[in-house]
Amino acid sequence: MLGKLIKYEWKATQRIFLPLYGLIVLFTLINKAFFVFNFDKTSGMALVPFVITMIIYCVLIAATGIVTLVVSIQRFYKNLLGDEGYLSFTLPVKPHSHIDSKMIVTLIWTLLSIAVAALSIFILAVNSDTVRDFSEFCAAVGRFFSQYGFQAYGLLIELIVLMLVSVLSGTLEIYAAVTVGNLSGKHKLLAGFGAYIGFGVVEQIVFSALFNAGKGFDFTGGYGQLSFDKLPFAAFAAGFGVLILYSLVFGAAFYFFTNWMLSKKLNLE
Amino acid sequence: MDSILECRNLTKYFPGCLALNSVNLAIPKGQIVGLLGPNGSGKSTLIKLINGLLTPSGGEIDINGMKPGVETKKIISYLPERTYLNNWMTVQNMIDFFGDFYADFNKAKAYDMLQRLHINPNDRLKTMSKGTKEKVQLILVMSREAELYVLDEPIGGVDPAARDYILDTIISNYSENASLILSTHLITDVEKILDGVIFINAGNIVLTSSVDEIREKENKSVDALFREVFKC
Repeated sequence: MLGKLIKYEWKATQRIFLPLYGLIVLFTLINKAFFVFNFDKTSGMALVPFVITMIIYCVLIAATGIVTLVVSIQRFYKNLLGDEGYLSFTLPVKPHSHIDSKMIVTLIWTLLSIAVAALSIFILAVNSDTVRDFSEFCAAVGRFFSQYGFQAYGLLIELIVLMLVSVLSGTLEIYAAVTVGNLSGKHKLLAGFGAYIGFGVVEQIVFSALFNAGKGFDFTGGYGQLSFDKLPFAAFAAGFGVLILYSLVFGAAFYFFTNWMLSKKLNLE
Repeated sequence: MDSILECRNLTKYFPGCLALNSVNLAIPKGQIVGLLGPNGSGKSTLIKLINGLLTPSGGEIDINGMKPGVETKKIISYLPERTYLNNWMTVQNMIDFFGDFYADFNKAKAYDMLQRLHINPNDRLKTMSKGTKEKVQLILVMSREAELYVLDEPIGGVDPAARDYILDTIISNYSENASLILSTHLITDVEKILDGVIFINAGNIVLTSSVDEIREKENKSVDALFREVFKC
């Protein structure tokens, strides 16, 4: 059943994301054409079309981030807590399946949005100079991995896991806040924002405590000073590990809280 | 196990309000029961509890011997008062959606009913009037071969001419073994299809009776009895 929920969640969201990605591709190509034909080097009125398309492009890239956030909130709110909730919560699935499907689809769109934006910027920026710089960068990364081997890969994996867990945890935090807001009777929006700020304060307190606890910790791993040749992998790995654990704990708390609210405290209008 | 629905001391509080006051109720299988009461009497609360959209504050509720959950949602076909259809979908999309999630959904039945009501399956729900949407929703709900149908105000939003068709649809699409609970305030319209009635007021069950009993003993129509019991 989770697969079916994901399928419909995908259908419901793709009609917003795919056209947006299409527009980004279109304006990437238009701007690229302007670069190729040196429109950016002209002056006066000839510059106007280039400036306009460039502004539209920048707005589109910024919009991608905002749309990803807004769609995530709106889908959760409308599909579960609005009128559509009457259907969603009478489907023969457990309430947590709704949370699962929505957070998975949000994660996929977040990753896709990042990939589309990065690829588009790369296409725009690519020329003989940037290709040379980029290949040098890749070579340096390659040397780094061959020099440090599994330690470096470990760090990379930790970074990826941290990113995935943070996105999910952030999404669940929003779900929890929206749920609190919606089930609190009057002043839904205010209560939702209040809950979100409240969660943020709790997170800040825990984070500060962690930071203070880590103050005496020598992140240079006894080297006194960081240098490329002597990287303190153990310290880095431990630091990332703590951050992953921190996101996991908060993410799990938001997940179980939201699930409990949706299972026991649901009260559709 | 002969009851499709059984409530024992079922109670539901909302902050500052007692919506259901220790309700005891048993609805036998194979009946069409009208859940009748004035606005705010607890009808919708009871219906939401049956569908697992609310959790009881106290007491118990059994559907076919099971507590509300995934298993009961498989056998209950529910028509809420609200329109829950996604605006961006077509009718056909909704039919596929129901077919995907409910094993008892009969697509052929749905297309047949759409055709008879002159609704094009390729139309987007966004373009439809409120009444047409309600018809689509009713068709979806009645195309399931469920064990219990729970219909909250199924004819409230449609014109009188369509009411008869809809009631016919309800009657002809529910099987002998299935049960049907129907809440409405348009009593005269539904009276002829009811087997039994439940009168509910201020969270209390005022009366449960078969329609024949009311006619024989009281020598009244359900509508007349309702007006007497709930006289303002």
